[in-house]
Amino acid sequence: MINLDNISFDHCIKCTVCTVYCPVARVTHLYPGPKFSGPDTERLRIKNPDLLDDSLKYCSNCKRCEIVCPSNVNIADIIRLASANNPKRKLSLRDLILSSTDLIGQIATRTAVIVNWTMTLSPLRRFMQLILGLSHERAFPKYASSSFSKWAVRQTRAQEIYPEKVIYFHGCYVNYNNPDLGKSVVQVLNRLNIGVVTTAEKCCGIPLISNNRLEEAKKHARHNIDVLKKAVGDSDMKILLTSSSCCLALDHEYKNLLEMDTTGIQGQIELITKFLYETFEQGETPSLKPLRLTVAYHAPCHLEHMGGVVYTVELLKKIPGLNLKLLHSECCGISGTYGFKEENYAISQAIGQNLFDQINDLKPDLVVTDCETCKWQIEFNTVYQVVHPITLLAEAMGCQNILKTGGK
Amino acid sequence: MKRVETDVVIIGGGVTGAGTFRDCLIRGIPAVLVEKNDLASGTTGRNHGLLHSGARYAVKDSASAVECIGENRILKKIARHCIEDTGGLFVALDDDDPAYGDRLIVSCRSAGIACREIAHQEALRIEPNLNPRIVRAFTVPDATIDPFRLVSANVLDARERGGQVYTHTRVNQIMTGPEGVTGVQCQNRLTGETFEIRARVVVNASGVWGEKVCRAAGIEMKMFPSKGSLIIFDYRVNRVVVNACRMPADADIFVPGDTVSLIGTTSRKIAYEDIDIAEVDEEEIAVLLEGAERLVPNVSRTRLLRAYCGVRPLISLKKGEVDGRSISRGIVLVDHEMRDGLKGLISIAGGKLMTYRLMAEKTTDLICRKLDRTDTCTTSQLPLPGSETKGKLTTRRNQFKGISASVIGSTQYRHGERVHQILKSDRKHDGLICECEMVTAGEVEYALQHLNVEDIVDLRRRTRLGMGPCQGALCACRATSFFVELKKMSGEKANQMLVDFIEERWKGIKPILWGDALREAEFSYWIHQGLISKKKKLEKPDEV
Amino acid sequence: MRFDSIIIGGGIAGMTCAIRCAEKGLSCAVISSGMSALHFASGSIDLLGRFPSDSVVTNPFDQMPDFINHNPEHPYARCGEKAIADSLQYFTDQLQQQSLQLCNNGRQNHFHLTTYGTLTPTYLSQKSVYSPELEKAFFENQKMALISFEGFRDFHVPLISANLPGQTLFQNRQVTTGTVDLSPLIRSQKNPHEFRSIDISRMLETDEDLQKIADHINELAGDAGIIGLPACLGFIHHASVYEKLQRLVGRPVYEIPTLPPSILGMRLDHALKTRFSNLGGVFIAGDKVVRGEMQSGKLSGVYTENHGKTLLKAGSVVLASGSFFSGGLISDSAGIREPVFNLDLTYEKDRKQWARGLFFQPESHQFLEFGVKTNEQLNPFDSSGHLIDNLYCAGAILAGYNPIREGSGGGVAISTGYTAAEMIIGRTASTGAARP
Repeated sequence: MINLDNISFDHCIKCTVCTVYCPVARVTHLYPGPKFSGPDTERLRIKNPDLLDDSLKYCSNCKRCEIVCPSNVNIADIIRLASANNPKRKLSLRDLILSSTDLIGQIATRTAVIVNWTMTLSPLRRFMQLILGLSHERAFPKYASSSFSKWAVRQTRAQEIYPEKVIYFHGCYVNYNNPDLGKSVVQVLNRLNIGVVTTAEKCCGIPLISNNRLEEAKKHARHNIDVLKKAVGDSDMKILLTSSSCCLALDHEYKNLLEMDTTGIQGQIELITKFLYETFEQGETPSLKPLRLTVAYHAPCHLEHMGGVVYTVELLKKIPGLNLKLLHSECCGISGTYGFKEENYAISQAIGQNLFDQINDLKPDLVVTDCETCKWQIEFNTVYQVVHPITLLAEAMGCQNILKTGGK
Repeated sequence: MKRVETDVVIIGGGVTGAGTFRDCLIRGIPAVLVEKNDLASGTTGRNHGLLHSGARYAVKDSASAVECIGENRILKKIARHCIEDTGGLFVALDDDDPAYGDRLIVSCRSAGIACREIAHQEALRIEPNLNPRIVRAFTVPDATIDPFRLVSANVLDARERGGQVYTHTRVNQIMTGPEGVTGVQCQNRLTGETFEIRARVVVNASGVWGEKVCRAAGIEMKMFPSKGSLIIFDYRVNRVVVNACRMPADADIFVPGDTVSLIGTTSRKIAYEDIDIAEVDEEEIAVLLEGAERLVPNVSRTRLLRAYCGVRPLISLKKGEVDGRSISRGIVLVDHEMRDGLKGLISIAGGKLMTYRLMAEKTTDLICRKLDRTDTCTTSQLPLPGSETKGKLTTRRNQFKGISASVIGSTQYRHGERVHQILKSDRKHDGLICECEMVTAGEVEYALQHLNVEDIVDLRRRTRLGMGPCQGALCACRATSFFVELKKMSGEKANQMLVDFIEERWKGIKPILWGDALREAEFSYWIHQGLISKKKKLEKPDEV
Repeated sequence: MRFDSIIIGGGIAGMTCAIRCAEKGLSCAVISSGMSALHFASGSIDLLGRFPSDSVVTNPFDQMPDFINHNPEHPYARCGEKAIADSLQYFTDQLQQQSLQLCNNGRQNHFHLTTYGTLTPTYLSQKSVYSPELEKAFFENQKMALISFEGFRDFHVPLISANLPGQTLFQNRQVTTGTVDLSPLIRSQKNPHEFRSIDISRMLETDEDLQKIADHINELAGDAGIIGLPACLGFIHHASVYEKLQRLVGRPVYEIPTLPPSILGMRLDHALKTRFSNLGGVFIAGDKVVRGEMQSGKLSGVYTENHGKTLLKAGSVVLASGSFFSGGLISDSAGIREPVFNLDLTYEKDRKQWARGLFFQPESHQFLEFGVKTNEQLNPFDSSGHLIDNLYCAGAILAGYNPIREGSGGGVAISTGYTAAEMIIGRTASTGAARP
């Protein structure tokens, strides 16, 4: 039975546009498309949950369907909820591992050298494909040897001196794979005379949502809402994020998909790029040294959905000397944990091919994007290094020379 | 002139005619069914599809109630794939007469209908979207029945036993001789061909058109048509049948039906001349939406799909009746030999959709007496084609490799066990023609080949094509292609048929043209504007 | 974030306006809440196709002065003949920059075939639908072929060929028909339930498949001098697919619109958006404008769902949000409203007057004419009747015209979008352009 207050599928007027622009439907017939999997079959699933079809699992949750829909149908959410509520679904060990980013991250950072090395071994990866269903072809991200949160905690005292503060929700990628990015964030903000506060956050929950572990996702959401609310307190401190997917989780999925009560933090959540752009606009642009680079910008799907692309682009345009090229906005194919799965690997590669071709034709010095999994996908499929916009900004602001050391 | 010979001609392809047709053939009586439009295109196809427990009648009409519950049980066995055994609720709100509930329980008990009071919180648990102002609630064994499937299955069975069907064929004359009726003269409205069917017994099962049919035999049988309107919501708002617990009035039943829900009904007297042009009024729309809102708050925010009306065939037994005071609500079986001195003509009228089998039984019993036969009725035990298995329908994904569970399930709902003849795992047949209701090319082909389909409107009744949110916008052109390929329909006829189908859908959309229905209509209008005729005058779709 | 102009709606009207603004150096953002009606449109641009008597207009430009005189509240009257002509030329030129060629028949209308094989007058069509070469080939060849693809039911050749003899242009023509079986080429892991125009288009954009398909088409077409195909001949790479296909079949090929998705319309959409992006315009996709902000009697900006409390400031705003389909107008049982600014509308209060008895009634339906009331400068009025002079309206949101009965949809969109842009450019020049 459905709750009459929260339905959008009946606005669908069958225009077929979502299926036309769905990256998954474009490359494989295993996925019948968002129109079929979403509004069409939702009507049937209400009548009888047995009418749910397994092919739902191919939806990558890129949400491009919602961006193009002229009828305000929350297509991706409909599919996500149907998938999660499927009584026949089973949680595989692989999906459990892939969605437990905190657990894996904590283990991996403590054993980073070993993990990073062994994950390059082809026989081991083949073994993992055999046993778990993780694609052996895909390169695994490297782990840092110490987490960002550990470092951040040690900065607490130093951050107290700043009159204005923001809360930084760093997410798992910064925490376990690329603490340098987090450090750049702190440097950039400190340079603007803004202090950075971190909390005892947990994984935002996006991998849990994508792997149909909604109850677990709600637990994480509840925890994050609580710690963030406490940290905000009575102030109007912003909660800034570098990861577009983490931001989608906090700003959109917690309230809409997971139906959590986000009062106390909803109005505070913001992309760091938006925050910095608006800060600069209010007359606080720091001096930026020119970066004479040709840079190709890739707009992540979730950022496009949130409307944040314009801020990243305008922020990058402020860097003098930067030859900014905007890549055609389309899905890179990895879609978070999606592309790591054996059965999705070929699909994820096919989806991103256009994008890789565009980049190869352009031959930029660097590729820039806000999403970490997009970064992994592009680096895996092209020869180019991919950095976060904040990394470039930090470089232009003369903060620690990040680019040379990489920060993969 | 072509001549068809048989024992019995049944005029009317509604559920009563179809049931009688089947009963005759099961008893081995050769019979022919003639229908001026399409099967179930009259009142049968225009009601709310409620398989009554009889509780609605228990308080005022005990005999009807007993009849209902008896047939309810039988149909649940023989028409399994046409029925969804949802269960039902009677709910009293704080402004309803609380005493009615007590009367309900008592009358149900004496009629043998299982009616049990439950806590109102329990009712809200069963049906979460119900109005929280409920004060009393009762469960009853209501269910829903799909009239199109029901008629289609009855006719299919009869045909498979040798019966002949002529749809889109109007009876022009009931032929008589010195011994009484000798048959009918009729005309195929699609080809114009006239022909005769010679028979010893003619059954008038034409529902509200009975007055006209009898007139064609020189007999007077006055009918008092009553229009009933309903509104269809885009999806299943409720799981079980919801009845308002009070004396029957307008808009007090909320019925789930396959992929949609309906609110009904109203009761408006109309003139007999207007039975073919009855339309849903603004006032009825308001009443229906108000009634729906009362039972399920916020439902008026739900997308409305269409509004339609049917005409109840209320009949008067008395000759010379003018004001309908002796209207019978029960089953009316008229032997015109006794009433009017015309041997061989029988009329069967009144009753309800769900008592059709009983009506057919009585009619066929009378037919047997007329033909000096002693065969007894077995329709209460023989399952309809598609309803043969016991137990719940499951999706059997493994049997249909590569076909989506949603498609398998939808096809199985509509055709029961016949799904095996319909779904084939190949690209040609799996293609979806109607995406809203999951109708495959295979199902369309099956319908065109086996289920008496002459145009897209007929096809819609057999397969639900065009009955979903798009109301034909995407599937009309696709459906048309099958008629050209399989029925060798000429391109011109095909174009006209396509126009007729869209106009038929439009009739039901117009009364509720706002919100998403208006958006959908605008979308459909842009897509199909290529169909706008160059001629100054558009041909109106065939009047019934 | 501040723009010289913010345009609400990314359809033909909005994008024409946006391109013009961006080209003239204005900072310009388009906010679009979903894909536009182009996705089911014919892909041709109708200027003025029919008289009220339903007879065909041969020369829309000759008719225009009279038309404007008789219809002073029509959007064309707001633009004037010169702007209409200029805007269409501009539109054609801009799309040419994106390698999408639009052809016309001088100042006259030409006909294009509809999905059902009837002919409808239009002014601009894509090269593969109408061009002087196609016209020549058409008149020089009595034999033509109509080919489709097996299992593709959004386009049905028998329906089309049944309607053709009824059109004078197609009488006495020998039409060969046939279907190409694409199933050997579908390298799918599974039988697809759907088979749309976009699926065929993607197959044709694959070189090796194109060759095989062309061979089949050749066989079926026999000695026909010109071949008609459903409009699926490539989306992004249409130009090269079309050129290759014609070369492979060795004769002219023309496209006939299909049921949605309309590849023809999608090509226009893609070209318009790419052009805008190349001119430095900002396209904000999948976002809905929820309300405007007034300051001293002028619109100072808009708020959107995604941008929350951040006001997107603008010197001028254009409302090109479309009709009911696109959410530009919202209806319920009580009436119709414009959801962003709650503008004053022209429409029938009695719902029974929204549509006619028959769906295909020749007079068409009244609801297609409902929309925002404006002054002569395309400025609308708010619900209290006050003029908002830095807000302009363009396209299907406007009242006072019936795009289908008149055959004027694309023309109104382009000319009002262009006119709004010209006015904004003029006004911004006097107040100074701004960066975002």
